[in-house]
Amino acid sequence: MAVVTVSGEPGCRTREVAQLAAQRLGFTHLSAERLEAMLEEEFGADALHDARNWADMAGSLLLRAAVSSHLVIGVDGAERIFRNFPALFRVRIVAPAARRIGNLMLDDGLDRAAARVALKQRENQLKAARKSRFGQATAPPASFDIVLNSETLDGAQMAALIASGVEARNLTEHGYLSPAAEAQMQFQIRLRLARHGIEPRGVAGVKQVAFGHPSEKTFASLLDFYRIPWEYEPRSFPIAWDQQGRVLESFTPDFYLPESDLYVELTTMKQSLVTKKNRKIRLLREIYPQIRIQVFYQKDLEEMVLKYSLAEEKVQP
Amino acid sequence: MKTPALPMIERVLFTEEQVRDRIREVAAEISEHYKDSTLKLVGVLKGSVFFLTALARELTIPIKVDFLAISSFSNHSGSSGVVRIAKDLDEAIEGEDVILVEDIVDTGFTARYLLQNLAGRGPNSIALCTMLDRKSKRIVPLRIDYRCFEIPDRFVIGCGLDYQQLYRNLNFLAVLKPDRH
Repeated sequence: MAVVTVSGEPGCRTREVAQLAAQRLGFTHLSAERLEAMLEEEFGADALHDARNWADMAGSLLLRAAVSSHLVIGVDGAERIFRNFPALFRVRIVAPAARRIGNLMLDDGLDRAAARVALKQRENQLKAARKSRFGQATAPPASFDIVLNSETLDGAQMAALIASGVEARNLTEHGYLSPAAEAQMQFQIRLRLARHGIEPRGVAGVKQVAFGHPSEKTFASLLDFYRIPWEYEPRSFPIAWDQQGRVLESFTPDFYLPESDLYVELTTMKQSLVTKKNRKIRLLREIYPQIRIQVFYQKDLEEMVLKYSLAEEKVQP
Repeated sequence: MKTPALPMIERVLFTEEQVRDRIREVAAEISEHYKDSTLKLVGVLKGSVFFLTALARELTIPIKVDFLAISSFSNHSGSSGVVRIAKDLDEAIEGEDVILVEDIVDTGFTARYLLQNLAGRGPNSIALCTMLDRKSKRIVPLRIDYRCFEIPDRFVIGCGLDYQQLYRNLNFLAVLKPDRH
């Protein structure tokens, strides 16, 4: 397997670069949010409180994913998880503070003073997380294979350089991780985790994106075109339970856009089925008022493609 | 002036007079805010040309004008690539006060990309002005500094907005009949 890790200073839009690099390479992208959700599913929220086990828990999950995927891991400190792994390409993204403050102003709608404060807070949070997970608050340049400056390189250019690095190192020539190698590495990790009473449940995994409808692929392409990070069906929300509290019905929105903290549901089916889906969305909004969801109907998607495209092709219903 | 009845129009959203009055109000805000600086309006081809021209005529401060265009999304091939500047600005904007002028902001895709791109060129300040804000379709969070109208979730034509490249030249804003698109 090939593993690309992308770490970055806060405000460098590291996530966008990781997503673009994964798209360019055809690798599976794992963001920090996605990894954290997988860790909670696999080990439970309690196990995550002790950050000293974080690297082993993340390693266990990622090794399982690597049996069927090459990975781009956009998680700060991920280069430490696979320290002695041969097919590893470690990327660090940096930029002067003024540029990173500017990015935060734009991305979070902050004025300069607030962005400066937010940047400092994020730097401190990142250092604290590194310190608790790996015993070191900072990441020395020698920990990386390549350091990119986002003051002079945009996201697409950095993704292109990462892809060139992977190609130059022939990282994909050995294919995915073999089940036997995974089992051997998992054994060592599980031994260490067992000392802390932690046992993987074997439930969380990286889902390969297999779109259920052509319109979803179109929407994903549109997001890729505009470099908007997305995740496909990352989370299901229970919306009905029986008297014993067992889940009777769940709803899984099609996309999650982490930059906007927004779920998107595409509704392109027949009118008779739209009513059912609208009911689920209404329930989701009632039960989870903090969840933001945007619904796009067939005509909305056609309009979007029409607006942003050369209008050569209509989205199929 | 009476708004003409046209077969493709469901209803008129804003008449020519309403559009003109509102643009004048927004122009007054901009003129006041930038009274001590030289402002550059950056329009996005093609849709914003009509609005930018109307806005510029109402401004009472000296301004510069420039335009850019972005590449189009194609759904034909498996990989659609990424958005790029198809026609760049003629002059640098480093150290300048810039307003990006859009005809409509809905998802925010284009505005987000362009604001990020322009911010990377070292302007003194950058703001976003749009004639129409279809907020109900927003996907990307954006701060809109100046807006003329917030509109409902309908297909709107006129004042630079088109349907298949037609109707940009209507001097009022109207909802296209659903059976026409």
